[in-house]
Amino acid sequence: MKLFLCIFIFSSTIIFAQTDWQKWGKANYSYAVKDNFHRRDLSFDAKNPERFVLKSLLDSYWFFISDVDGDNCAFSPSCSNFFLQSVSKTNLVQGTLMFFDRFTRDMDFISKFDFYPSVPDGHFYDPISLYTLDKNEIKYIPPSVIVNNE
Amino acid sequence: MKKTIFLILCYSSILIAQSVDQQKEANLFSPPNIKKFADYLFCSHDYLRAALEYQRYLSTNHNDTVSYKIAIAYSKIGNYSKAAKLFASIDHQSHLFPDAQLEYYKALFQDEDYFGLRNDFINADLSNQFVLSPRAKKLFYFSYLFTNDKLPGENQFLSHFEGTDFQRVKDFYSWKEAPPYKSSLAAGILSAIIPGLGKIYVKKYSDGAFAFLATAALGYLTYSDFKAGHNFRGWVFGGLAAGFYAGNIYGSIAAAQIYNVKIQFDFVNSLKAFLNAKNFFIPEINFCR
Repeated sequence: MKLFLCIFIFSSTIIFAQTDWQKWGKANYSYAVKDNFHRRDLSFDAKNPERFVLKSLLDSYWFFISDVDGDNCAFSPSCSNFFLQSVSKTNLVQGTLMFFDRFTRDMDFISKFDFYPSVPDGHFYDPISLYTLDKNEIKYIPPSVIVNNE
Repeated sequence: MKKTIFLILCYSSILIAQSVDQQKEANLFSPPNIKKFADYLFCSHDYLRAALEYQRYLSTNHNDTVSYKIAIAYSKIGNYSKAAKLFASIDHQSHLFPDAQLEYYKALFQDEDYFGLRNDFINADLSNQFVLSPRAKKLFYFSYLFTNDKLPGENQFLSHFEGTDFQRVKDFYSWKEAPPYKSSLAAGILSAIIPGLGKIYVKKYSDGAFAFLATAALGYLTYSDFKAGHNFRGWVFGGLAAGFYAGNIYGSIAAAQIYNVKIQFDFVNSLKAFLNAKNFFIPEINFCR
């Protein structure tokens, strides 16, 4: 067993070893703002109390957590934007249910490529119009398509 | 010296002289040359420019074949409504009239004007040979597969198709008569019984599995926290578990609706692929041999 472990560690060290030219090679890094950079709308919305509370919470989440954490949501619109849009389009209860469903689908890392089309920056396109339970709003887009005008 | 100049002038006039035929050939804007150029563009699949050149040719000449080719060109570039109008304007006396009429119906079909097609068909003069042609009847009946109108009887519908087409069209008919839609209500109920089951019912297997795992894990955390006396954590996890549970029921209903739209989309695409492969049951005239 010990011998086997030794061989495994030794061989994996060799296989995954960094070569010098990879380690010290020149990195072409651009500091330009990327096209897919999220320009958040951090304004407060005081149309009604529920929207004020929700927008304030989301603004805080974007400012203190999401923007610091990086662009990690696989979908477009992102889960937090989806939540905001779904509450705006429907109501707080339905929007919250839509958000929980979206969050469950976001956890599924196996079959996203089979169900969702992409946008040019690589995110999966998943608009709220598919989930409002209004059949007329559902426009099916095959997963092979790249959606340009989201 | 004068003699030499005279001779040079004479010879050069003869040598560099243009013949009358060459002049004719050089007139690039003569109707025959415009038509030649348009034919070249047409056979190079440059249909829009070909149509414009043919129209220029038609301003000075009358030619049914050219009118027909303009309509074909517009059909090829996807301007089906214009193509339909042009096919409809082909003279009844023309030898291309039967083909133009079929192409007219094909253009209506491609323009997704199924009601227009059927109205034209129903209101057409029954003595018209075209209306009675088997090809036209195929198009007429096939249009019912694209709309939500009541289907004609199966025997009546299928009697117009034969050979290899028959079984395929029969499958389409059966699909249309009883589409394999999933029930939103059933999806919701299934997810209410076991979280994720509704998603599995609409063939979103991994979504269903993750929904089950999320709800089960949060449910277990709720139970263990309450059992251990950690009431605050118990309520937090309980709230999240309830949210995932209810969200999954909602999501299963939405997923069933999306599934139904998807299979309808796939069905229409397979109909279109079949029709394109068959060229809408119309023999294509090859003008570019």
